[in-house]
Amino acid sequence: MKKLEKFLQDHFEQFEIFEQENEYKSISFESNNLKEIATKQSKGFSVRSIKNNGLTFSSSSNYDLEKFSSNFLELSQYPISTNIQFPKPHKTSSKEVKIFSKEEFKIENDFFINNLRKNIKEIQKKFPDALCDAEYDLAIGKSSLVNSNGLKKETFESAISFYISAQLINGNDMLNIYNYLSSVKNFTTTEIEQVTNKLIEDLSIAQKIKNTPKKGCPVIFTPHGLYQTILAPLLVSFNGTNLSKELSSLFKKEGEKIFDEKITLLDDPFIDYSPSSRNYDAEGIQTKQIPLIEKGEFKSGVFDLKTAYDYGCSSTGSAGRSLNSGTFPSISNLVMKNGNQDISNIIEQIDEGILVDHLLGAGQGNELSGDFSANISLGYKIEKGKLVGRVKNTMISGNAFSALKNVENLSKEKETVYGSMSLPFLQTHQVEISS
Amino acid sequence: MNKNYKSIIGESLKLNKGDYKEIRIEENISTRINYNGKTRENVSINSHFGGSVRSMCKGGWGFTSFNDIQKAPEKMKECIELANYNNNPEFNLAKNDPTKISLPPIVKKDPRSIKLNDKIQVLEHYKDLILSEKSIHGCEIVYGDTERKVIFADSDGNEIEQNFVHVILRIAANSSDGKEMLQSGFSIGSLGDYSIVENLDKEVLDCVKKSVSLITAPKIEGKETTVVLDQILAGVFVHEAFGHLSEADNVYENERLKEILKLGTKFGNSDLNITDGASIPELRGSYTFDDEGTPASKTPLIREGVLVGRLHSKETASKMSENLTGNARAISYAFPPIVRMTNTIIENAQNTTEDIIKDTKDGLYVKNWYGGMTEHEMFTFSSGETYRIKNGEIKETLRPVKLSGNLFTTLKNIDGIANDLEINQGGGCGKGGQMPLPVSNGSPHIRINNCLVSSG
Repeated sequence: MKKLEKFLQDHFEQFEIFEQENEYKSISFESNNLKEIATKQSKGFSVRSIKNNGLTFSSSSNYDLEKFSSNFLELSQYPISTNIQFPKPHKTSSKEVKIFSKEEFKIENDFFINNLRKNIKEIQKKFPDALCDAEYDLAIGKSSLVNSNGLKKETFESAISFYISAQLINGNDMLNIYNYLSSVKNFTTTEIEQVTNKLIEDLSIAQKIKNTPKKGCPVIFTPHGLYQTILAPLLVSFNGTNLSKELSSLFKKEGEKIFDEKITLLDDPFIDYSPSSRNYDAEGIQTKQIPLIEKGEFKSGVFDLKTAYDYGCSSTGSAGRSLNSGTFPSISNLVMKNGNQDISNIIEQIDEGILVDHLLGAGQGNELSGDFSANISLGYKIEKGKLVGRVKNTMISGNAFSALKNVENLSKEKETVYGSMSLPFLQTHQVEISS
Repeated sequence: MNKNYKSIIGESLKLNKGDYKEIRIEENISTRINYNGKTRENVSINSHFGGSVRSMCKGGWGFTSFNDIQKAPEKMKECIELANYNNNPEFNLAKNDPTKISLPPIVKKDPRSIKLNDKIQVLEHYKDLILSEKSIHGCEIVYGDTERKVIFADSDGNEIEQNFVHVILRIAANSSDGKEMLQSGFSIGSLGDYSIVENLDKEVLDCVKKSVSLITAPKIEGKETTVVLDQILAGVFVHEAFGHLSEADNVYENERLKEILKLGTKFGNSDLNITDGASIPELRGSYTFDDEGTPASKTPLIREGVLVGRLHSKETASKMSENLTGNARAISYAFPPIVRMTNTIIENAQNTTEDIIKDTKDGLYVKNWYGGMTEHEMFTFSSGETYRIKNGEIKETLRPVKLSGNLFTTLKNIDGIANDLEINQGGGCGKGGQMPLPVSNGSPHIRINNCLVSSG
């Protein structure tokens, strides 16, 4: 790689080399039986360079540096216009968030296999006809970032996840529910048991199909449902790329009250053992907590160096990257402030309504406007304050901005979604149910 | 085949262990050019190289992928050890006559022969064309071409080298009324033909016009209604509504589903015929051998409304005692092959589109696509354009809609199939983390009754 550095020094004003080496392992059960154990190793690098306010990018996992350099020179004739400065070395803060554990790869395969088998058996005790898939996924990685301004960073990261799903077929009705956990380090037996028990509980309620309530009924979202339905399309507008391109409706609206007073949303990179935490971002910029919404007021989007330059602000330390792409703004851990009511209380007050948990087909529409529309693949019917079964062949649609403008209720309880978000249950009237 | 590869492959497969062993080596190089908003955002060339080995022992699999090809023989040992953790009933994998062959890519106007500068100039022109319209806020252009060489060998004696060149292009125009951002676009693709990227002025201007017309278009209220789908959206429909459940890996170990999806079961009306096949030539889902070395074929899935076939890998064909179809595909060396669609088509019937629309009193004409998804018998897909149909005539523009259905009722609700089959090659399919896999979908115009739609 020294040769590559020399080449870049000779031809460009600034450069950056990112190199990544990862190892993965997955142990998967399919239809109740062990199906496959897979391991993967990958290694590759990418380069960004700057000359005359133009940025060039290329990546490779094939270390033919001569070919790479000649391609790179050709590409540099068509640079992307920008004027960013790669960061200089900076002191690492004394208290670093924990993002690495190397122990998991030493655990015997039999431990994972037995654990998966045991949890599938638990489900089958209650539902003998259930067909279960279950999986452990492990990842460990090292990446290095070197730039022409003297920055040198080496990062070690790890991740582990546990996934379990069950399918029940009754006539032509197929019910499929899954649950999962993910972290930087291995889980306790109790944590895994909780995941499986929750799945068993959900299956018990969801087995019964109930009529969809009428349009205009109260709708509550589980933390997962809240992310999938409302927050995912909303966050498109917080992305620095869409803000800097004036594609986001939040463009230059920092400080404006746009949402309900109850909504406070934070991007927090400092949660120990969360797989999305980071001490510095993919460009080597120190991370920080970013208030996105505070009591309904739009505070900030998330930016990497380039989108920040285009928007006229500073990077928020939010750069993510994959080997094949340059950098892009990304959120680390999304945290929403909870409310003060127990979820059981919120449900108890509802005569007829829906608790939305999972959607099918979310995110395949005009997300820039905040619109959403999807089939409710798992939604519970609420009758007289109780969950009594699930709805089917039902769609939900609306707009994320409107849905968060008048929020009825936020729960006291929060749940971890996708291993990195901490969200409450939310009730809003501003959605449409059709069936 | 490269001599170095040959000795690595020989070394890896000669181990006297494992019921079945295979190795894949892949080289690929891709060019990407993107525009977003008003500017060019990316021009890059990415080159990748790697391999993987897979082995079956005790009725289950071990799989290992890596970048350092020299290590393949020792990775095969590791892979066999992993496979030995399985403890399932053993079975014989389906076999075909072993082949030794090397196949060049299918190309017409070869994108590899076009200078980077020329590619950029063409796209730059489309960008300017879009931005020249006043109410347009920005554009989104994604161009990609990929050259891929895949070498496959297995312990049954197959040694197959295949080469592919793919071209994809998406062009979209964003318009805005100052409050809301709206988008209209189109996606196209080809197997080895750069000329699809050229001479698109008419299509680009049309897309600009449609984008602007969305600003004033109303949203519909969610309801069940009659929908007429154009060829592109009907192609997405057949992929989502039926295609995924015809993939045998969803079925082969699920006794209840096997009963529900028994060959001979009626799923549609007598003019419904559905086919999938990689041997349909020169489409993005076309190839000669799949990623397990099985020759590609053309598989009838539905004939006169009745389920007559499904898509298989070696494992699912063996376990269901059905014929191999050549549908085991891996998106790259880093993934094991799984059962996938290739080119999926609803065949022409007798009606004309004109008659179908004339015969529709109240409904929606839905065209083009944003996306689609399937979860078991449920599916959703979304239109890129929507128009009202009133008393047999196409009326005003509406905002795009999402459509949702259920395999068991929606296929039977198709009550009109036209005779104007067209195939769209602009899509990619995702399954098991492998995305976007090149596929094509095709259909004539079709009409579906009582389809659940909502604005979105």
